[in-house]
Amino acid sequence: MQNKTQHDAILGKLVSLRQGYAQKLSDKISEIDAAHERLLKGNWNQHQAAVLHGLLHKLAGAAGTFGFLEIGQSARNGEAVLKDFVDGITEPDSRQKELLAEHVARIKESYEQSSLDSTDLKIEVPAYHNITDGDTDVDNRLIFLLEDDVALANELVTYLAYYGYHTRHFECIGNFKQALEKVEPVAVISDIMLPDGNATEILENIQSDRAKPLPVIFITILEDMLTRLHAVRSGGVAYFRKPVDPTKVVDTLDSLVSRKDNEPNRVLIVEDSISLSDFYSFILKQAGMETLVVNDPMMVMQPLEEFRPDLILMDLYMPGCSGLDLAKIIRQQDTFHSIPIVYLSVETNTEIQMKAMRPGGDEFLTKPIKPGHLVSSVNSRVRRARILRSFMVRDSLTGLFNHTLTREYLYRELEQARRRNGLLSFAMIDIDNFKSVNDNYGHTVGDQVIRIVAKLINQRMRKTDIIGRYGGEEFAIIMPDTSAETATSILDELRHNFSQIPHQYGDIEFTVTISCGVAEFPACQSAATLSETADQALYEAKNRGRNQVVKAERNSDLLHQEQR
Amino acid sequence: MDHVLQRILYVEDDEVFHEITRLALEEVGSYTLKICFSGQDALRSAPDFAPDLILLDARMPDMDGPATFKKLKEIPQLASVPILFMTANVLPREVEHFKKLGAADVIHKPFDPLTLAHTLENIWQKINGISVKTSLI
Repeated sequence: MQNKTQHDAILGKLVSLRQGYAQKLSDKISEIDAAHERLLKGNWNQHQAAVLHGLLHKLAGAAGTFGFLEIGQSARNGEAVLKDFVDGITEPDSRQKELLAEHVARIKESYEQSSLDSTDLKIEVPAYHNITDGDTDVDNRLIFLLEDDVALANELVTYLAYYGYHTRHFECIGNFKQALEKVEPVAVISDIMLPDGNATEILENIQSDRAKPLPVIFITILEDMLTRLHAVRSGGVAYFRKPVDPTKVVDTLDSLVSRKDNEPNRVLIVEDSISLSDFYSFILKQAGMETLVVNDPMMVMQPLEEFRPDLILMDLYMPGCSGLDLAKIIRQQDTFHSIPIVYLSVETNTEIQMKAMRPGGDEFLTKPIKPGHLVSSVNSRVRRARILRSFMVRDSLTGLFNHTLTREYLYRELEQARRRNGLLSFAMIDIDNFKSVNDNYGHTVGDQVIRIVAKLINQRMRKTDIIGRYGGEEFAIIMPDTSAETATSILDELRHNFSQIPHQYGDIEFTVTISCGVAEFPACQSAATLSETADQALYEAKNRGRNQVVKAERNSDLLHQEQR
Repeated sequence: MDHVLQRILYVEDDEVFHEITRLALEEVGSYTLKICFSGQDALRSAPDFAPDLILLDARMPDMDGPATFKKLKEIPQLASVPILFMTANVLPREVEHFKKLGAADVIHKPFDPLTLAHTLENIWQKINGISVKTSLI
């Protein structure tokens, strides 16, 4: 949304606002001090208590906003002591009177302390936030597990490790809270009843102090509505009853840490004015998106195919081809049938705007457009479109691309590799003896194994790799810019990891293996040859005894056939 | 057609908050912000300003947050505009009370001026049903 200079300018203003508030703070604190004095002298008159309560309440809300967190907290504590008295619920006892005096004194102390530090204004400067989010310096695989059942905890820790999560286990809330002050996990998995308290209560408190809630997955034997309600309020994103199915926990973690969500939005900008298109591109890039600019609407088709945008931002009036016609043309292609199109124009006539929407526009933004508006509009459109698209092109069991789409991607990636004179590897993976898994343990277990393979592939591959479920127990991976050697070693590691995962069927524990064949471009020139060659290599891996990865030899017969 | 969060009306009697909220919402968030000093002021200005969202301080002299809330909701063109309470009360029962009144959400004071816009954007998208993760519950 902003660049670094703007960000610095904002911080600069924040610092000066804070200095301004610091000056007023002195008066506010004197006022509180005086009100406290009056309360003591007036022998705890309720009206005076209400005045002090109001002042503390205001300070509690404001001080923290300006970065005076300790002062705000002390004010909040003082306010809490007075609350029941002001509401006429209880009379204050000597202990409460002491406490109030302590909190007021603490406010004064913190203020004096902070004015000593005033040259060094300690404003928390977070890594710059924008809507696509970009917290750095966080171990994005770190999970905190709060569970007093050690056996269960160990089992979970081991299981999560298979999926690349680092888990820190705590048996009681105390240690958990301490650790939380030092490191930030991406998510918390928590039991509810713990030896030193109820986790939902503690987490509710923790969450209220945070700008961004910490996602919590609850695992518990409790199932009543009230507990569930508390779970939601304390940041619960999922709630599993014990005994817990660890694959579901991993699913939820993956959706929280999902790399798909973190993938930058890709926006194609079609705008004949170079300065405007550069401007839009700049704004969107600042917000962490990837953009491609096309200034001539007649030249849009090829970049569209190659860039695979999530959204098209289009000027309505362009020479040669209007935005309306262009939208119609784009919509005629099956692949782009559902891509969001957002028009940009000076047009304020709603009738014309509506007409522009009819052939497939999704939104109309009027120039001049505010940067924040543009970014949030694009973000919400893309998010929705991605969810919709994921329903259409993904296999429902594994969430991977379906067969048709994987093939389509293979063609496309291959063309790109050809144009760049680059490399590309194509791999086929098959689960060994899958039929016997189904026969021995049933289809539910079989499906489970498929899902685990899918998940593992998904985690080990790069963002740019394309993973599809090709058939029943068969998967395909397209790895751009990757030699067959590299692909083979990555896949071999994957194969090894998978073979170590224990699967459960009642009391029986068993392992499953996979075989894999790899083919490479440019050794194989066409998509058809690539997939045939990879398939042959897979067949070879099975022949050699399964549980292995075979790289197709360069001068295979198929290659000769192709060259003829 | 879902629309974008752009115009925010902020009702707050305590002037201390005005500039910092302006920074948080106009400069960090690029929203169009209008600030009203009181509930009465908000009732007069809101229809013309046509906000997408209203931020309402809960505790104000004369007409407090909940009273202003009810009056705002009675104005036909504002009936569907989400209203968020801002409050330094953090007790869950108080927060619950605001939600029962029909508040779209509650923003706690103190807030972080650098992330307030981000928070509002998330709430806005939640209101407009673009949240995926809540479906896990």
